[in-house]
Amino acid sequence: MDLFFEFLKNTGYYLADIRYVLMICVGILFCFLATAKKYEPLLLLPIGFGIIIGNVPFFKGFGLGIYENNSVLHYLYFGVTSGLYPSIVFLGLGAMTDFSSMLARPKLMLLGAAAQMGIYFTLLSALALGFAPKEAASVAIIGGADGPTSIFLTAKLAPHLIGPIAIAAYSYMALIPIIQPPIMRLLTTRKERLIKMHDTERQVTRKELLFFPILGVILCCFLAPASIPLLGPFFFGNFMKESRVVDRLAKTASSSVIDTATIFLGLTVGASTQADVFLTAKSLGIFFLGSVAFSIATASGIIFAKIMNIFLKEKINPLLGAAGVSAVPGSAREVHLVGLKEDPTNYLLMHAMACNASGVIGSAICAGILWSFMMR
Amino acid sequence: MAFVGALIVMCGLASLSFIISQLHKIIGLFEKKKAAAHAIVEQPADIDILNNLEVAARTYQMLTADLGDSFELVKLYEIFERENLPHPHLTISAFRDAGYLIPLGSGLFSWQKV
Repeated sequence: MDLFFEFLKNTGYYLADIRYVLMICVGILFCFLATAKKYEPLLLLPIGFGIIIGNVPFFKGFGLGIYENNSVLHYLYFGVTSGLYPSIVFLGLGAMTDFSSMLARPKLMLLGAAAQMGIYFTLLSALALGFAPKEAASVAIIGGADGPTSIFLTAKLAPHLIGPIAIAAYSYMALIPIIQPPIMRLLTTRKERLIKMHDTERQVTRKELLFFPILGVILCCFLAPASIPLLGPFFFGNFMKESRVVDRLAKTASSSVIDTATIFLGLTVGASTQADVFLTAKSLGIFFLGSVAFSIATASGIIFAKIMNIFLKEKINPLLGAAGVSAVPGSAREVHLVGLKEDPTNYLLMHAMACNASGVIGSAICAGILWSFMMR
Repeated sequence: MAFVGALIVMCGLASLSFIISQLHKIIGLFEKKKAAAHAIVEQPADIDILNNLEVAARTYQMLTADLGDSFELVKLYEIFERENLPHPHLTISAFRDAGYLIPLGSGLFSWQKV
């Protein structure tokens, strides 16, 4: 009988407290949003289930938890803490990305740069709120709206914050349809939202598509060498795709490779939200600042588009600024939908994708810059 | 720090944007040069070969000077192909019929000097 009671004391039911229950509810909510509402299911589903797994209470010292040496989850988590998964995800992203819309409309790249202002504003805010500089930089990168980039930088600067920062970054990416449209409508007039983007741009040649990844890697990685782990694989993946001589490799990178990395990334990031580590006042601060960062990134893209319109003869639709954040293709889709609501014949998707692709590059450069700043 | 960071990103993407906006012009420039070089080589294509066999033979003899005094027709064919000369089979056949290509035996030919 004693053995039975000992056993009961080791069960999760006995060890659980309200914090674990709360986190498991969050995990179930993520799974619900992914399956029923289809909010970024590729991210929210593995993360949600990971949260549930990571918050099953267990007896410490058995080598079970993600933070315990020699546990399986700990080994899988190495891909996160070393920055391996984000690099692999970027490789796949590169192999999936079509830069032709961006190459045809290079001026829209500036919106991708402008949307990164949210990162720097949040950096200042986080420092003002008492975060240590490395923590502040990790929180600020949420404004780039790029999960892998956020995880990569946090793994380098503040590994103890990976859980809350990754959850915040991916949550806000999933909540794009809720967060971005009100900001878009608030900062633009109906007249501005009705601006039509002309599709008369020139045809991008194959040679341009081939040259771009080489130019991109040289220019961006020379500017911020710390962004090599992200932009190197990103442009390499794109070069494989555009070269058309290694279709097998490009196809694998854009399917099996990125999918495998996404599965383990999502699952382990979710599992890293162990209630006793995750539920702290700092996490709340991170969530608050993350939403600020994301909102400011959206706003700064829109405002910059409006500033550009002062100087441009052919006006651009300021909604496109919101797609400057690097949440591909969520924010581009949202810009397109908001534009369609105002005018069902106004198709902004291709233009928004140009800003989106630029945003991916911009946020990776930002990560590189912040990393190099903090390493000094 | 934040200002410097923002400035670097802006400058980086602005310069990338500028470069890619000029990329097609640079590529176009190279292609124009290449096309011009091709045009020089392809000049013989403008010749109405069958009606101006003598002119064609003179031009083609210059192009194939590297082959030496005697050559196999297959080598001649390869050069015609490489230089994008029109109708290589027909042209060689016409040169043979008109006596501009003289058989030397053992599959070798030489040009009749024009």
